[in-house]
Amino acid sequence: MDTTLLITEAKARFNHNSAKTYLKDKYDSKFIVADQSGLWRANLETINFLNSSTDEQVILIDTFNNPVKVNRTSLLYKLADTYKNVMEEWHNEWADLEKKR
Amino acid sequence: MTRGVLLFAFNSPKYNYYEMAVATAKRINHFLGLPVTLVTDSESLPVKQSYEFDNVILAPADKSNRRDWGVWYNKGRYRAYQFSPYDETLLLDTDYMVNSDKLLKTFDLPTDFCCHDTTSFLMHPKAAQEMLSVYSFNTLWATVIMFKKTKRAEQIFNCLEMVQNNFEHYANIHGFIAATFRNDYGLTLATRIVNGQTTPNEDIIPWNLLHVGKNTSAYSNTKDEFNTEYTVMFDNWNRGKIRKEYITIKDTDFHVMNKENFMELISE
Repeated sequence: MDTTLLITEAKARFNHNSAKTYLKDKYDSKFIVADQSGLWRANLETINFLNSSTDEQVILIDTFNNPVKVNRTSLLYKLADTYKNVMEEWHNEWADLEKKR
Repeated sequence: MTRGVLLFAFNSPKYNYYEMAVATAKRINHFLGLPVTLVTDSESLPVKQSYEFDNVILAPADKSNRRDWGVWYNKGRYRAYQFSPYDETLLLDTDYMVNSDKLLKTFDLPTDFCCHDTTSFLMHPKAAQEMLSVYSFNTLWATVIMFKKTKRAEQIFNCLEMVQNNFEHYANIHGFIAATFRNDYGLTLATRIVNGQTTPNEDIIPWNLLHVGKNTSAYSNTKDEFNTEYTVMFDNWNRGKIRKEYITIKDTDFHVMNKENFMELISE
């Protein structure tokens, strides 16, 4: 099906709010990382905590609310990398959608 | 350690679930790189098969379930544990459109059983979460289940069989209508029973199940067999008039509730 024609003939309007919600849903799930027997969210709070600590091992509460002892640098590397890549993808897709009318 | 996907497909007078399973299996092979085992009956299996499943398990369909649009052969999902030839299994509905490798993440979760408890509807951002009834629990979803061959997972599926066999009794307790058996409801009750009337966080897939729901249709943006870009069109009713609205999505798995729409998508 030619979706461009479909949109034109149906006089359909691009719904920016729904698109924004969809993108948030899509990319939220990509921040989730399973590592060192815990499940983590690559968010600024966790990354900043790991970055500011100097200990080799730290104990963190994972997304299942379990305290997990982790190797700090290894987890920091993984979460920071995930955060950067996902945000970049999200931003690119968002910028594309912003152009639609 | 073996991994694979299990699909159940029993053709009804209205829908060809075998055809849906073939299309879904091809996408599973392509995006997840996993083999697919099909559970079906001899009536659904065509003489000439265009696709070779990893295994085909023949089992009689339980034809005792009805829905508003006709007969619905969805019972017997509890047999998944017994039928799966894999150590780690993804049990999917045949109308689940795989567009990414996201489901592989479920195998990394520190659990032996998980499914969705939260849904999002494309173009319906404020849709409420479904509950068994207003007095009961949020529904878990049987659309995507990951399980490993453990005692606990086996107990959940055994319990699902028990709930299916006594569905009316549980409907009376929880205040929902028992006329149509739903695996989602059965699963919700079975997991709670096995887990001591709780739902552990570990049993929940940590992202939403995305539905293409009521008044919404998805269309492929390209004719590629493994297309991952779609236009999702929504009929927005406002003061007795329909206003068409759309968004575009890509590389996103979704569950198509409207079977006609799913058939259109796989035949485009």
